Amino acid sequence: MTTLTKNTILPPSTHAFADVIHRLEAGGSMLPDTPENLMQIIGIYKAYAVPMDFYWRDLLYIAERVFLNPLRFFKYFLPQEYLDFPNHYAGETADLRIWRGEASAHPELLEFIEKGNTTKMPKLFHHLWHDRINMEFAEACMQAMLWHGRDMGMGKFDAYLDTEEYKANADKAIRAYFKGNPPMLALYKLFPDLFLEQVKELSYYSNLGLFWEVMAPVFFEMSDIYDEGGFKGVPDAMNFLVNGIFAIAGRPIYHHVYIGDECFEIIPKSKGFTWLYEAALPYVEAVFYRTAPFRGTKSYNAQAKQVPEEQKDFHYGILYADVFPVGTAGIPPTLLMDDMLHFLPPYLIEYYQKHCRGEDDMLVQLGITFQRSMYNVTSAVIQALRTALLYPLDDPNPRHLAKNRQFFEAQMDRFLRPEARLKDIQTDRYR
Amino acid sequence: MLSLLLILPVIGALVIGFFPGNIQAKQLRQITELFAVLTLVWSLLILFKFDINNSQLQFQEYLPWIPQLGLNYSLGVDGLSLPLVILNSLLTGVAIYSIGPNIDRSRLYYALILLINAGISGALLSQNLLLFIIFYELELIPFYLMIAIWGGEKRGYASMKFLLYTAFSGLLVLAAFLGISLLGGSYSFDYNPQVTQTFTDSAQTILLILILLGFGIKIPLVPLHTWLPDAYTEASPAVAILLGGILAKLGAYGIIRFGLQLFPQTWAQFAPVLAIIGTVTVLYGALSAIAQKDIKRMVAYSSIGHMGYILVAAAAGTELSVLGAVAQMVSHGLILALLFHLVGIVERKAGTRDLNVLNGLMNPIRGLPLTSALLITGGMASAGIPGLVGFAAEFIVFQGSFTTFPIPTLLCILASGLTAVYFVILLNRTCFGKLDNQRAYYPKVLASEMLPALVLTAIIFFLGVQPNYLVQWTQTTTNEMIAQIPHSSPAVEQLAQGAVTLPQP
Repeated sequence: MTTLTKNTILPPSTHAFADVIHRLEAGGSMLPDTPENLMQIIGIYKAYAVPMDFYWRDLLYIAERVFLNPLRFFKYFLPQEYLDFPNHYAGETADLRIWRGEASAHPELLEFIEKGNTTKMPKLFHHLWHDRINMEFAEACMQAMLWHGRDMGMGKFDAYLDTEEYKANADKAIRAYFKGNPPMLALYKLFPDLFLEQVKELSYYSNLGLFWEVMAPVFFEMSDIYDEGGFKGVPDAMNFLVNGIFAIAGRPIYHHVYIGDECFEIIPKSKGFTWLYEAALPYVEAVFYRTAPFRGTKSYNAQAKQVPEEQKDFHYGILYADVFPVGTAGIPPTLLMDDMLHFLPPYLIEYYQKHCRGEDDMLVQLGITFQRSMYNVTSAVIQALRTALLYPLDDPNPRHLAKNRQFFEAQMDRFLRPEARLKDIQTDRYR
Repeated sequence: MLSLLLILPVIGALVIGFFPGNIQAKQLRQITELFAVLTLVWSLLILFKFDINNSQLQFQEYLPWIPQLGLNYSLGVDGLSLPLVILNSLLTGVAIYSIGPNIDRSRLYYALILLINAGISGALLSQNLLLFIIFYELELIPFYLMIAIWGGEKRGYASMKFLLYTAFSGLLVLAAFLGISLLGGSYSFDYNPQVTQTFTDSAQTILLILILLGFGIKIPLVPLHTWLPDAYTEASPAVAILLGGILAKLGAYGIIRFGLQLFPQTWAQFAPVLAIIGTVTVLYGALSAIAQKDIKRMVAYSSIGHMGYILVAAAAGTELSVLGAVAQMVSHGLILALLFHLVGIVERKAGTRDLNVLNGLMNPIRGLPLTSALLITGGMASAGIPGLVGFAAEFIVFQGSFTTFPIPTLLCILASGLTAVYFVILLNRTCFGKLDNQRAYYPKVLASEMLPALVLTAIIFFLGVQPNYLVQWTQTTTNEMIAQIPHSSPAVEQLAQGAVTLPQP
């Protein structure tokens, strides 16, 4: 076990989540440090990373190749080229080798694409039989980032989408893409914003694809380290994430489009958009905290006022989600839970079989595990932000420690809403 | 032929009760089910051999037993009792599976279920008044024990109340039968509608009142109903199914068989009053059900309401309405059994019956989705949604009784709407909504627990779209029965013209 040293300089916090704050100040995670929690979160990282390996490849494929195709019937049919596409953070050719495994698509993913849950048959039949990866979930995450991007005021990526420079780049690509297609060109002439907005969305496809290109190898590596006995507790797993975040923070975020043999740089790498500020933080805010109200949980009736008027008050992300109705109509995370179900490591399946309804409600059990693991990821982001913006945890200066505490308390304030699951994940009764 | 229906379950009860050795509760259940299925198969055999064009008793058996008392072992079945005999065998099979596999004192429990089955079959089949009384009273003991031993929290109170009420009911019926026998001048208690025709009017009136009170307790009719909510609520699901599905039918059967058939003239004079009592019962049941906070109590009150239709139909005394009464008995037996079975599952899994606590059971993974889906089907069947058996039966009742008693019938139709109200309340609070994350770690429902509900639902659907199979057995018998009733009673006509105003509920 990692030993956490409690600071004795400051008086105890009086916050409702004082225990969690003290743990964060001691270098811990929002998720309690128990072997069971560690086993669960690492297992689910593994199960999450395999579909994620598909998500990022397909997101980039759509952003770069499918582009403005008005009839995107086959956008989830990944060509071999994108399955072989080397991940920049795995394998021999890596820019920075995070995962020691192969850079091409994960073997379990390839096996699932080939056989699915049924048997070997053409990709189209797998798709029609819904024996596939639920890419719609990745697109929903992208849309959450796109839609909240305007409001969050983080980074410069979203602001750049409104500049003349971006419009000029997009214009070139749109014209090139529809060359020799007069109806579409006429449509573009009539309604220039129609395709421009589409391109903005595609830029977010690229953004999220590039974000997940990093997370997939990180989660694979964490799973491998755990299997080797490398992690001693939840804080270790969190610290690995913190270190990973800093190691990758500077990777470029861009949007390139390939039309024919030509590459159009809609958002060139030279703009200097970086992973941490333009992808990771907006993603955490948009997907973990905000997203959109579930159709099956909240009424969008404007008179009922169930959905907040301000986007900043949205609280429907995984940190707040009610996982019990997973599998019901109108609950989007079901898509992701179903994806992860195919790739659970054996120790996690065995663990689920021993609890609740065993095999029957695995979808909900893994959903709750996923929620725990995302609290750990969020802890890593909070610790990383604290490292970047404030003071070290072992700072001897009480004023600096007070600043740290202020930061942690402000973060925990967001979980004071009754929907937040922070309190639930503190016990193992919640499963 | 018919005796086997009595003998089989009794043998079964003896085997289960006294077979030496230590048998697991699970195996005991299988043995019990075996006997129940054998009985069901045998009763179906009788069903297929039954001649639907013959209005007389069929498969008669006659053995002198104690001639000094006029007690003869005389069995027979006609279109009135046959559907109920089948229902009895079917519901016994359902009841065996409607409680979990692990049960205390399982031997006694399963033996009693089979004894109840034999007793009810006996009462339905017996063509001797004294024999009927014997079986009727015999039901008391096993039911009392089953409520008192395996019941809920207030089982002592509920079972004692049940015992007192029904014992009193038995006494009233016995008094009426003794009267019939004495006035008839013969010492034989054999069932014979001709004898009673010769009685004076006042004698007929008194005897009919005794019979109405006696069976009215069992049905139950409104002022005599107070044992029911307690008994049904405190009983285990199996007992509730048998109580509501069959024992209540025994009361309705008794009223038609011994009231309508033995005293047709007097019945016609009583009819308007009976129609009013029936209507009050229907409305009272529906309005009380709306007020309940406990799902089992809701279903119990719904049972009171639905039994009221039978009295209205029987009072109307047209060919169609009496046919509807029998159809309603069968339909209500099936629907009530389904509802009690499902409510039993909900209670066992969720650990509560409180409307304010239950929620979100439709959740496909953590809830009880199949149970909820069938509960909705059962609720719709009970509320008379077309395509399910409840509609077929209720429509025949309404159609049949409207010509005779238009206002009571209209009020019954109104109550049918109220049925939909309280079932929507029930379904809305239990099946819809979201699960409570603190307590929703319900165990899963086993396939063996769902099987009886699926069978019942299939039958409810089938009879809903093919109601012919529900009524064809009964038609000739009831037509024959109605031919005896004089239809020009002044009171009936008065009511038909709306001259009699009904008390507003």
